[in-house]
Amino acid sequence: MSAAAQVTDSTFEQEVLESNVPVLVDFWAPWCGPCRMVAPVVDEIAEQYAGQVKVVKVNTDENPNVASRYGIRSIPTLMIFKEGQRVDMVVGAVPKTTLASTLEKYL
Amino acid sequence: MNTPTNPNQASDRSLEAMRHFSETYAKRSGTYFCVDPGVTAVVIEGLAKHKDELGSPLCPCRHYEDKHAEAAAAYWNCPCVPMRERKECHCMLFLTPDNDFAGDKQEISFEQVRGVTNQS
Repeated sequence: MSAAAQVTDSTFEQEVLESNVPVLVDFWAPWCGPCRMVAPVVDEIAEQYAGQVKVVKVNTDENPNVASRYGIRSIPTLMIFKEGQRVDMVVGAVPKTTLASTLEKYL
Repeated sequence: MNTPTNPNQASDRSLEAMRHFSETYAKRSGTYFCVDPGVTAVVIEGLAKHKDELGSPLCPCRHYEDKHAEAAAAYWNCPCVPMRERKECHCMLFLTPDNDFAGDKQEISFEQVRGVTNQS
């Protein structure tokens, strides 16, 4: 089972915007190839930064409101939220080192 | 052919059409499938699902405000404009040989696709 919990249009506010720690959000879709490649990377990040960062996933097909609110276009998009604000994002199936170094800036 | 086991899967007919298109287009454009055939399989399933739902194989690796309007606009219908103009496929279906993730295959069977997407 994935280390990252799924969040929805209705739980996004509470789980992401009101989080006390920075949140990495993986916006994915079911038949998106590169999402499949980045998913294990996201899971590794969740384990490596457990306690420091919260890692969640949003299925953009099932949660169009959140996806639209943050202007998601290309999938996967990985967004970092801190204190309720979007602070950074990376697009596409990036290597773990790229994701980790982006995340480190906000810890 | 094995019947879809997942409601998100496409019809066999559309899947076969998109599978065949993908092989033909890879050969014609000199591009290759991903070294991980699971990536290729899910993208082909996604294209076929959009073909069923929208009448056009809209790219499954983007989020759209209105899928029907996007399908009508055609920009992101596979092969999309960035692919046709610059061989850019962010879905990683068609990879140029210099791409780190490019494999050496331009073929994938119906059974291979469903073998992956039945598990997804």
